Amino acid sequence: MKKYFQFSVISIVFTYLLIFIGGLVRVSGAGMGCPDWPKCFDRWIPPTNLEQLPDYIDPEKFNLVLAWVEYLNRLFGALVGLIILVTCVYGLLYFKNHKRVTFSITLALFITFVEGWLGSKLVDTVLDPVTITLHLLLALIIIGLIIYSSIQSYYIIEGNFEKDSVYPGHIKYIILGIMVCVVVEIIIGTEIRGGLDISRKENPLIEGVILLKMLGPFKYIHTILGVILLGLVFYLRKIIQNIKLFPSDYMIYAVNFMLIIICIQIVLGESLVFFDVKPLVQLFHMWFSSLLLGLSIVQYTFWKISNSV
Amino acid sequence: MIKKIHLVSVLSLVVFLGIGATWVITKATQASQVLPAVIKQAPPFSLVSHHGEPFTKDSLRNKISVLDFIFTSCPGPCPIMSNNMRTLYNQYKLHPDLQFISITVDPEYDSQEVLKIYADANGVNDKRWKFLRADMEKVKKLSSDGFLLMSDNLPAGHSVKFVLIDGDGNIRQYYNGTDKASISILRNHINLFLKKLRSSV
Repeated sequence: MKKYFQFSVISIVFTYLLIFIGGLVRVSGAGMGCPDWPKCFDRWIPPTNLEQLPDYIDPEKFNLVLAWVEYLNRLFGALVGLIILVTCVYGLLYFKNHKRVTFSITLALFITFVEGWLGSKLVDTVLDPVTITLHLLLALIIIGLIIYSSIQSYYIIEGNFEKDSVYPGHIKYIILGIMVCVVVEIIIGTEIRGGLDISRKENPLIEGVILLKMLGPFKYIHTILGVILLGLVFYLRKIIQNIKLFPSDYMIYAVNFMLIIICIQIVLGESLVFFDVKPLVQLFHMWFSSLLLGLSIVQYTFWKISNSV
Repeated sequence: MIKKIHLVSVLSLVVFLGIGATWVITKATQASQVLPAVIKQAPPFSLVSHHGEPFTKDSLRNKISVLDFIFTSCPGPCPIMSNNMRTLYNQYKLHPDLQFISITVDPEYDSQEVLKIYADANGVNDKRWKFLRADMEKVKKLSSDGFLLMSDNLPAGHSVKFVLIDGDGNIRQYYNGTDKASISILRNHINLFLKKLRSSV
């Protein structure tokens, strides 16, 4: 049983790394590094020079660095798929009678396959913005399901670590509110990012910061919602820290960690607006938002466990 | 309890990812900034535009040019090519140092008047996009020997490539004029060449 928990933690870490690498592909403009899928220029190992290109692919599409960045993303994706598969097998073996564990990990595995297929569609559609957003959202659903399954298995193995906690009923809604806010923020964020790309095409050779100013009211909603999120987490922290509720250390860590990341997020986001649209900052801004969603799922699962007998 | 070691390892992971990502982004940016090498000089030519003005190799000087071969009654790839060319033409409306050139491979049908109608239909309202013609033999030679394009069975057998020509009249790269991914690379190259052209002025 412990093996399942260990593998689920590895799955979580590797999926987060994959989200990071996926974002890296996007910010480094390597998304079309391989014009075909799953092979790269019709080869299992990407070409290292123009002579290795097949006749039917236009040679101008070949860029050695971009091809390898994209291909390493695919290889890492395949590795993560395998890890989730193994985790799922362990789950079905050891937690047969625990639907909360098996159902979510099986669903995660299924969505992982869909995610791979969607990756191929990204190449087919030459990075259609809606498909890119969907690709990220599916990754977030996968990570959420694995986190949920992992914590549930820990609860079964180690006993109820939330048995003493008496969280007030309405914190469920605060946590769900945070979750919804984070998801909406992520969607608006990808809209801003996509809008920036379109704007860059329509206004070539204009700096990113100026393009950002030209974008619609989305960017203000993004900031306002970010501040609301900060308020919600502050409020949650205030409730959780009440010692009379006997909160678990895990819950306190999850809330504090979330607060730190939101503060970092606001700094990163504003630096994009006021200084420059730096790819590295964009990447971490996106990645930290996926961590925030993960943490809200952690909190939700803790709350759920605190209500279990 | 969270130990110090956990915090240190999380922070090191973030730093490690940051350094790795910076390296990849730098490499990828450098790789995307490389200008395609000179393939050959554009050949000398003398054509007439849909405005009735002469257009020669000298007209390529100090401009970035995107050139293709089409014909107005073409049912196949030309509408897609002209559609993509029109998108670029509209996107670069603030950049007079980028010009678009479409040479007809069916000069018998595509008279100056027909080319003018075709230009209007594509929303051409300034001199950045020119439709050119010359007699068939000249065009055939220009396409095959001059621009090294497939020109076996003109007009139907013309190439679907877009040719990118720099400010010195050098052919720098070919792109598939019907393919979105290829056009996106062309857009990146146009930006690089425009920046270079400006810095040299």
